[in-house]
Amino acid sequence: MTRPDGFTAYWDRLEADLTRLEPRCVTEPMPRHSTEDFTVHALRMTSVGPYRTFGYLSVPAGRGPFPAVLETPRYGSVNPVPDYNDRMRYVVLTLMHRGQRLADETFAAEYPGLLTLGIDDPETYVYRGIVADSVRGADVLLALPEVDPDRVAVVGDDLALITAAFRPTIGTVRSGWPMFYRLAEARRRTLEYPMQELNDLLRARPDRGAGVEATLALFDPIHHAPSVRATTLIVEGDDPDWMTPLREAVAGPVEGYRLSHEGGTDTDRLDAWLAGRMGVAPMTKFQGKVTA
Amino acid sequence: MTSVRDPEHYELNLARPADFDGFWAEVLAQAGEIPLEPVMEPVPLRSTDDVEVFEIRYRSLDGVVVAGWYCRPSESVSAPPYPGLMLVPGYVSEPTLPTSWARRGYAAIGVAPRGKLRSNIRYNPGYPGLLVHNIVDRNTYAYRGFYVDAVRALDFLRGRPEVDAARIGIHGSSQGGALTIITCALRPGDIACGAAGAPYLCGMMAAASLTHSYPYEEINEYLRVHPSHRSMVEETLAYFDGVNFAPLIQAPMLVYIGLEDHVCPPETGYAVFRAMSCEKELVATPRCAHDAGAYWVNARVERFLAEHLRPVAALSVEAIQ
Repeated sequence: MTRPDGFTAYWDRLEADLTRLEPRCVTEPMPRHSTEDFTVHALRMTSVGPYRTFGYLSVPAGRGPFPAVLETPRYGSVNPVPDYNDRMRYVVLTLMHRGQRLADETFAAEYPGLLTLGIDDPETYVYRGIVADSVRGADVLLALPEVDPDRVAVVGDDLALITAAFRPTIGTVRSGWPMFYRLAEARRRTLEYPMQELNDLLRARPDRGAGVEATLALFDPIHHAPSVRATTLIVEGDDPDWMTPLREAVAGPVEGYRLSHEGGTDTDRLDAWLAGRMGVAPMTKFQGKVTA
Repeated sequence: MTSVRDPEHYELNLARPADFDGFWAEVLAQAGEIPLEPVMEPVPLRSTDDVEVFEIRYRSLDGVVVAGWYCRPSESVSAPPYPGLMLVPGYVSEPTLPTSWARRGYAAIGVAPRGKLRSNIRYNPGYPGLLVHNIVDRNTYAYRGFYVDAVRALDFLRGRPEVDAARIGIHGSSQGGALTIITCALRPGDIACGAAGAPYLCGMMAAASLTHSYPYEEINEYLRVHPSHRSMVEETLAYFDGVNFAPLIQAPMLVYIGLEDHVCPPETGYAVFRAMSCEKELVATPRCAHDAGAYWVNARVERFLAEHLRPVAALSVEAIQ
């Protein structure tokens, strides 16, 4: 798969923009979300823009270093506090990108609307900054003394893969359904949002199709995958052939996970895969036994 | 003592306050004094030849302005009247833009109760936060207005001339499942059917004791910080618990749950289902979690709604491309 023209230069400029800005991290304990087993902090940091973003940083009690997980933001206004079981086992940084709640002082993302914001020009596309937010989060996590640098994972969707491409010291990636993957094709196979945002835009302005597709190509994880050296798990839908080109493009060891669509089964299997990579015990979210 | 969970036979310890019905009658009476003041603005960007999309607003309890999306079939595709369908959102999700339901022949509203984006200018407890906002006082608790916002969406639909008021249904999962149950209970004569997935806000105190997943973990966190508030919290939540609303429902209900749901424990899904005395159907799917078996159940939900609401056949996806 050939990378689009200007791909490397575009992302090098983003890297340079990040380098020029200090993150200026500030953390503040959040007692309500903390227990004797872990402490949760509100973490604020500066990303490209400049823009102040937010993350929940949870650190287990005891002597580290600990395995660490970066959770990249989902598509939506809210990213929850890290999962309780994850807080027990990992240093977890759950990021809000610009425009999401807790990172929306000067810009509040709209849903629908975020996917196409500024999409005509790669330089103005909102996801350029969102990628920067995720990479910035990875840098902050990797620099923490509590983190074992040999056991760092990034989980999420496209942003997880792209972040791992930027930071090859991240050893593990677990990616859910990547929204930007083959998006110019995928949007024709659905009427559901958020992909429908593109259909809406191009129905109204078909003349903008070429520009939109050129921007989207820069974000397609298939073009970032050759830089991903981490051991990677990619969640697949019912058509495993759809993901084959992406799997084959990842530079590091890679496997697909075919969803059973049984939420309990899938959650446990995905947890066990990550726990195995991180050297900790798997934990189920649904306890079959209770203590009175 | 440790025991194996038996969700179906779990005994919920929840009292129904003696003045439960009076409390809600008073709240609805207060809301009824506030003019709805519905506003509809066309959204050409998201409309097609087949579906018209509108951004809507209406006024609710405390004068809060609530936003939503309203989608209806184009008259060139099918003539009114249309059955109405309310889509109610989950805890952290934004309201659905229900174009796909309009394509199936419904006049559909995706509502954003207070605190959701576009309805949060005056009221914004945040996520996490909503579940425990003013949780010590039933008269100012967050869900008092939130529930009414859903009921007022029903008023919006009933006020539309193209909607057949005798064929209005409601559907949602998680918090949407709760709002389905509660709206059906508060307006039993106005809803033809309800489909509730993985219902949240049911057996709330029990749920918090059975999971560490959010949103219920908010209650555990609150009580860790304020252990002396437990009795006040229990007292408040009894007025807002879906299990206490369930006996009021008259419309046929489809409830579906996952038997390994760590967000809304299946014990509470069974409890709210048992509390219903209406025509009802339960689908409990093994090994499924908060998805509640949606991969298999969604088609059944669509059939259930169609049987009760009888939309005129809609377009296929292929026809729209």
